[in-house]
Amino acid sequence: MKDIQSDSSEIGPPTVSEARLLSVLDTAADGIIVIDEAARILVFNKACEAMFGLPAADVLGENVKIVMPTEYAVEHDSYISNYIGTGVKKIIGIGREVRGRHSDGTIFPLELSVGEAQTPAGRQFIGILRDLRPRKESEQRLAELQSELVHLARVSAIDEMGAAIAHELNQPLTALLLYLQAVRRAHARGIDINAQVGDILDKAAGEAERAGHIIQRMRQFVEKREPERHLRQLDPLIDDAIDLTLLGQRHRIRIDREPAPVLPPVMVDPVQIQQIVVNLVRNAIEAATQCGNGNEPAIRIVTRRTGADVRLDVHDNGPGIAPEALPKLFQAFASSKRRGMGLGLAISRTIAQNHGGDLTVDPGGNGSGACFSLVLPAAPDTMANQAGEGSV
Amino acid sequence: MRVHVVEDDDGVSDSLNLILGNLGHEVVMHRDAESLFRGVPPAGSDAVIVDLSLPGISGAQAVRWLLGLASPPRVVVISGQSQSAIDHQMRGLHPAWLVRKPLDVETLTRALPME
Repeated sequence: MKDIQSDSSEIGPPTVSEARLLSVLDTAADGIIVIDEAARILVFNKACEAMFGLPAADVLGENVKIVMPTEYAVEHDSYISNYIGTGVKKIIGIGREVRGRHSDGTIFPLELSVGEAQTPAGRQFIGILRDLRPRKESEQRLAELQSELVHLARVSAIDEMGAAIAHELNQPLTALLLYLQAVRRAHARGIDINAQVGDILDKAAGEAERAGHIIQRMRQFVEKREPERHLRQLDPLIDDAIDLTLLGQRHRIRIDREPAPVLPPVMVDPVQIQQIVVNLVRNAIEAATQCGNGNEPAIRIVTRRTGADVRLDVHDNGPGIAPEALPKLFQAFASSKRRGMGLGLAISRTIAQNHGGDLTVDPGGNGSGACFSLVLPAAPDTMANQAGEGSV
Repeated sequence: MRVHVVEDDDGVSDSLNLILGNLGHEVVMHRDAESLFRGVPPAGSDAVIVDLSLPGISGAQAVRWLLGLASPPRVVVISGQSQSAIDHQMRGLHPAWLVRKPLDVETLTRALPME
């Protein structure tokens, strides 16, 4: 590394303390740049050389704009003169995310913190830089993994409901087959069924459509897709999800649904929100049907507005949640159930929090069932008008 | 033969009604076990097709009741559930026929032989 002072013509051999300082700078893992009041580079350490692909010898004495993308570079001189003129600190001591320019033209994100030093040679600014690309990559990877896991949990839910869904598909298939065979038999025996046949074929087509709807509903739920955000009314989403859950349900159970009269829209990933609802309703049905306390198994699904939030409550009339199960309730793979991966509640809470909301539980007990509550922030008012028209 | 059908699914019960009529049977439809119990009990010469998954009183209970009649009818169980779920519900019960859905007309003719 080289070091120049403002008056670069008068460089002598470094003193002992200077040599020690230079060694420290070059050992640092972070990039370090020191500039003077005229933004000329005085120090450019080894980490910087690697980060920007520039040897220190080429940049010392140059304006620091040389490592900035154009949009920062044009403003940078005025930043410094503003600060010197007004003393108002916009970045010094604060640090922020900025972008740097590599010598090959690549623009990349940097975390920059700036300090200031008064030296005999004048005011100097010390910038410490960290390349944010590795962190951005791992954030991206994490987001991808999370999205995979959310999808996996949906597939797992359908998998667990598979037998019951097969049963549900068998109903229209049975009806379809019998209608067609009735027509076939009459035809084979020369029986005149002209008066009936149109009606029978319509019914057969209706049953085929019914089977198609079941498949379609499942497919929407399990298909892999990028996370998205749409402005939606919560109640129709919930009703769809309840239908899907009941498709995959062997138990017959009473469901009391209390939708809110008026609810502001929410900005959500519709399938992910339905995933939460499917999970909560399945759990509630399971809890209610295991109660054996003589109550008719029933669940109650309520939506309402609370302040700036929209809230969904799923009550069951089961035994409530045992106190010892409570601490691990929202942890992945900690399920007490024999079936499934134990991901449902953990994923559901993650989804809720990714939406700026939360998923909480009132464990009940002593004769009252549990109640899970999903809270989502209402979309800002400026967007409320669009939602009235059904939204995208 | 008089055939009672206990089935809550509209499509399945309507198509069964049609095909059984075509086959020459006298058909009596019931939406649930409760309605079967309320009516005149099936005679020993009747057949009863019972869907295992019924709302309210379960199909298995209906089968138990039918097989316990003094002169039990021919009981045909139909179900779209998995074999293990069926086995679990049918413990100790021995109906004349057990058919998994989807069922077709040939199976029905075999399960309900004309005299």
